Amino acid sequence: MISYLIRRVLYAMPIMLGVAFLCFMLVHIAPGDPLVAILPPDASVDLQKQLMELYGFNRSYPEQFFSWVWRAMHGDLGSSIATGRPVAQEVFKAVGNTFMIAALATLIGFFFGSLFGFVAGYFRNSWVDKIASFISVVGVSVPHYWLGMVLVIIFSSQLMWLPATGAGPDGSAAWIWDFEHVKYLIMPAVTMSFIPMGIIARTVRALVADILSQEFVIGLKARGLGEFGVFRHVVKNCAPTAMAVMGLQLGYLLGGSILIETVFSWPGTGFLLNQAIFQRDLPLLQGTILVLALFFVSLNLLVDILQTVFDPRIERA
Amino acid sequence: MSTLQATAATPVSALPLPAFKRSRGHWANVAARIVRNPLAMIAAVILLALIGIAVFAPWIMPADPFATSMFTRLKPIGTPGHLFGTDELGRDLLSRLMLGGRLSLFMGITPVLTAFVIGSGIGILAGYAGGFINTAIMRTIDVLYAFPSVLLAIALSGALGAGIVNALTSLTIVFIPQIARIAESVTTQVRRSDYVDAARASGAGAFTIVRAHVLGNVLGPIFVYSTSLISVSMILASGLSFLGLGVKPPEPEWGLMLNTLRTAIYTQPWVAALPGAFIFITSISFNMLSDGLRSAMEVKQ
Amino acid sequence: MKLTKPSAITLACTLAFGLLTSVGVHAEKVLRIAMTAGDIPRTLGQPDQGFEGNRFTGIPMYDSLTQWDLSKADKASEVIPDLAVSWAVDAKDKTKWIFKLRPGVKFHDGSAFNADAVVWNVAKVLDKDAPNFDPSQVGVTASRMPTLRTAKKIDDLTVELTTSEPDSFLPINLTNLFMASPLQWAKKLAAVPGSVTDKAERAKQAWAAFAADASGTGPFKMTKFVPRERLELARNPEYWDAKRRPQIDKVVMLPLPEANSRTAALLSGQVDWIEAPAPDALDTIKARGFKVYSNPQPHVWPWQLSFAPGSPWLDKRVRYAANLCVNRPAMKQLLGGLMGEATGTVEPGHPWRGNPSFHIKYDPDGARKLMTEAGYSAAKPLKVKVQISASGSGQMQPLPMNEFMQQNLKACFIDVQFDVIEWNTLYTNWRIGAKDPSAHGSDAVNISFAAMDPFFAMVRFVSSKAAPPVSNNWGFYSNPEVDAIIAKARTTFDARQRDALLAQLHAKIVDEAPFVWVAHDTGPRAISAKVKGVVQPQSWFIDIATMTMD
Repeated sequence: MISYLIRRVLYAMPIMLGVAFLCFMLVHIAPGDPLVAILPPDASVDLQKQLMELYGFNRSYPEQFFSWVWRAMHGDLGSSIATGRPVAQEVFKAVGNTFMIAALATLIGFFFGSLFGFVAGYFRNSWVDKIASFISVVGVSVPHYWLGMVLVIIFSSQLMWLPATGAGPDGSAAWIWDFEHVKYLIMPAVTMSFIPMGIIARTVRALVADILSQEFVIGLKARGLGEFGVFRHVVKNCAPTAMAVMGLQLGYLLGGSILIETVFSWPGTGFLLNQAIFQRDLPLLQGTILVLALFFVSLNLLVDILQTVFDPRIERA
Repeated sequence: MSTLQATAATPVSALPLPAFKRSRGHWANVAARIVRNPLAMIAAVILLALIGIAVFAPWIMPADPFATSMFTRLKPIGTPGHLFGTDELGRDLLSRLMLGGRLSLFMGITPVLTAFVIGSGIGILAGYAGGFINTAIMRTIDVLYAFPSVLLAIALSGALGAGIVNALTSLTIVFIPQIARIAESVTTQVRRSDYVDAARASGAGAFTIVRAHVLGNVLGPIFVYSTSLISVSMILASGLSFLGLGVKPPEPEWGLMLNTLRTAIYTQPWVAALPGAFIFITSISFNMLSDGLRSAMEVKQ
Repeated sequence: MKLTKPSAITLACTLAFGLLTSVGVHAEKVLRIAMTAGDIPRTLGQPDQGFEGNRFTGIPMYDSLTQWDLSKADKASEVIPDLAVSWAVDAKDKTKWIFKLRPGVKFHDGSAFNADAVVWNVAKVLDKDAPNFDPSQVGVTASRMPTLRTAKKIDDLTVELTTSEPDSFLPINLTNLFMASPLQWAKKLAAVPGSVTDKAERAKQAWAAFAADASGTGPFKMTKFVPRERLELARNPEYWDAKRRPQIDKVVMLPLPEANSRTAALLSGQVDWIEAPAPDALDTIKARGFKVYSNPQPHVWPWQLSFAPGSPWLDKRVRYAANLCVNRPAMKQLLGGLMGEATGTVEPGHPWRGNPSFHIKYDPDGARKLMTEAGYSAAKPLKVKVQISASGSGQMQPLPMNEFMQQNLKACFIDVQFDVIEWNTLYTNWRIGAKDPSAHGSDAVNISFAAMDPFFAMVRFVSSKAAPPVSNNWGFYSNPEVDAIIAKARTTFDARQRDALLAQLHAKIVDEAPFVWVAHDTGPRAISAKVKGVVQPQSWFIDIATMTMD
């Protein structure tokens, strides 16, 4: 097991380098001027050349890539072209903000997803199963950001119960965990929770159905284990995989929050990405995508390790 | 790999894998089981209807889906001449929904189909070959897999630019790693099974074994998994057009229509919600059908 | 929906809390504004995010040597003195200007505004060797003051500016150069850690620190800055212009790029003022008691025509016909009234309007007559291709508007085909020109532009010296008479005479019709009825300092 773990960690290294390379390529194959954020199109050609040189965009691609990776390894992700602020600082602050809604969304999704999935799996193939499955799948069948917009119109514009946008009345820097601030968290998190709910429900349902149909469970029942005992047994066996899925959903939400954050103007990584794409702010774009992808790789690795530690029976490739 | 179980929408342990070789009769049984599943049948009928409408749209549309008229914009459902109302540019919504079905279903099915072919190929190759080839291929796939799908789709689309072809490309690239992983995992399990060992021992060549024994057993589960990706593809395409990437106006496509109608929620909420309803029905139907296929393929105790 | 006990209590508490906060512990007047920008425009003096930046982090916090008069809604906005009380060009050497500065003006940090400050601010974008040079500010500034070269102090309240060639447009261009406080910046520079030794890097960090704690001379000063989330300004009671000392205590600016979110924020009471409300929500907004302000702006939404060899527009009759065939009143209705009908780059009443003999109006019969004369008919229409975008800043509603024009022109024997491309690409193509493959063989391009100063409004489209890649004369229009008027206007330094020449230029341009003029944007914004004294001038900008709140 230890050797497997060490191998897994070592494998992560070239993957991270590959991720950095892909990141760099993605951002640089885009057509368009890297200076479009600070250079209006009606600027003269000389001005353009001058600034390209000052910002180092006239160097060769390999040179730019290696200098970027080298500095990234030292924690310096460069500065945003549009604002001049250091990218690393902004990205990590944004990750913190996204983590708030992603974590809450994952918890909500996990709770309801497990609930529906469990019920569906337990009563598999009955009408209870079908109804529970249907409910859990609703949220994944419509664009969730659109559902978010509808919620905003109902709860903000019409009922005026919840604020429409933002991360607190004074911005995220002044965040306190009181109702005044948590109000802002509710709609984005609920909107985000539909996807994990759907996926966790499906996973749990399949797991529960699978475990219940296995021979030794039937054997246990035959030996007189009560319903509650079977229930406990099922939960014990589902838990590792379900938690693994939850962990990965968290990573997925962290990286894929751009649509929700655009609707709610939530100052997280998605909002940052949106601006970066729109303004073609290369250092910010590269840095944000890199951090998100590396986070996901690390999360993947962590989940793998934890799964191995807690349940060595799981089949290895 | 273990994370495969965790990340797949359908854990591998729950995928129906055979302990015996499948015969022709088996597939007939699967078909029979599906037909007896009411939900799956309803879903199938709905999908056939939608596909039919989409295919025949140019002939059955009541009006010109591109004719704008600023004086009849945002008319409600039931307006004479515009059964489903009009959109923000005065175009007939029913016609646009019908024609839009073509592009929407296309954006949903094509990336998944392409990724199915390519991903299965890569995954089966890696799974069957094992060893170093497996490691090399799967680690490369892992690099792509390291990006959350929404992020990858948007980053790719942002890099390639707006447009249908670019959106299709980025969506395909997003799905290939997922399908490849499933394919690899399933193939690895089949490769270790007794009858494959027997076939190798009897001296059959790799190609023959794959064709005769492996494909029949792995394509089923991979296909089932892929069908569950169709709704994801449609919704991702909609997300791309929301950000200005993906399908560009004035092409009718349900996701794009949902986005361009979003500011009309204040004046005509039901009209604005119609494209969403169609995406919803299509997604649910594909998912129900996918579920039905999976249940039908499950080996019952 | 049945209200369960816990949620009823929550509702009651929320309502009570809301009442308390609205009554207010003390009556601090706070104006909350939602901008369309996705981030707070730069606060260090030269804003980005286009003119919305100047509007919210330029004019409120800073002053420039000259400014736009934003006090009247019914007249064109003109350039008036700001930090400079008077200016004149040297009679013998027309590339030198003497500016006399306003005495007694202080920056927010208490230091005095004087000629040294002006020289310092000119150096920040024009002098590569200056310690305070900032390359990131060069782009937005230098392109708007193309001829300015250096500044020299004559005495504490007099400054000499030098241009590369005689340019009478300079005072207008100077509205874009905002004066930041050199002393405040020097303090930030001193605070940069000693471990940073590279001069450019030190300057960059000093500017970043300055952006978080800025100091200008404007009617509002910065109090809080949360990047990407909010900017808070407080009134400056010692502002030099007594007429513009703010009555509002605090202004909060929030970036809300999504139109629906902005509308929801206004309707839910989260903000008091939103820029560019979603047009379809306007009825709901007005029904809830908010006010919608709009006024035609120095903005033009046209088709810019190609004069490359083989272009269908080379025949003047065709150009006239296209202009006469667009049903602008109907299009205005299409846009819910949020459009000014364009009969030229500037409209009657503007000092640069002149007396064009070509009167642009909706006259399809007249248009058809011209087309018939030119040899076209319904059976034999003229085919043109126009490159457009689906969206973009200032492009208003490009698809409906273009499609509407397509329908209009069909009736006048012009068959229009569109090449829809991405906004950024279209904008970049503008400077590449009609003859380049990037134009995809288009005969016209639909790019809106700001028309606040003579160069940006007219010269860059019709001067033969502004042909691509130098500037935006995309269609390669060239006319020696036009060039002559431009040269004369540029070297006429009496403001009235210069304006008269610009009027002549404009009239000539309208008569030559290198554009199909369609619309002016009106810059709609929705503001709470609590905000009083709102004047929306015929400008891209608006003055917050003269507003009050209940």
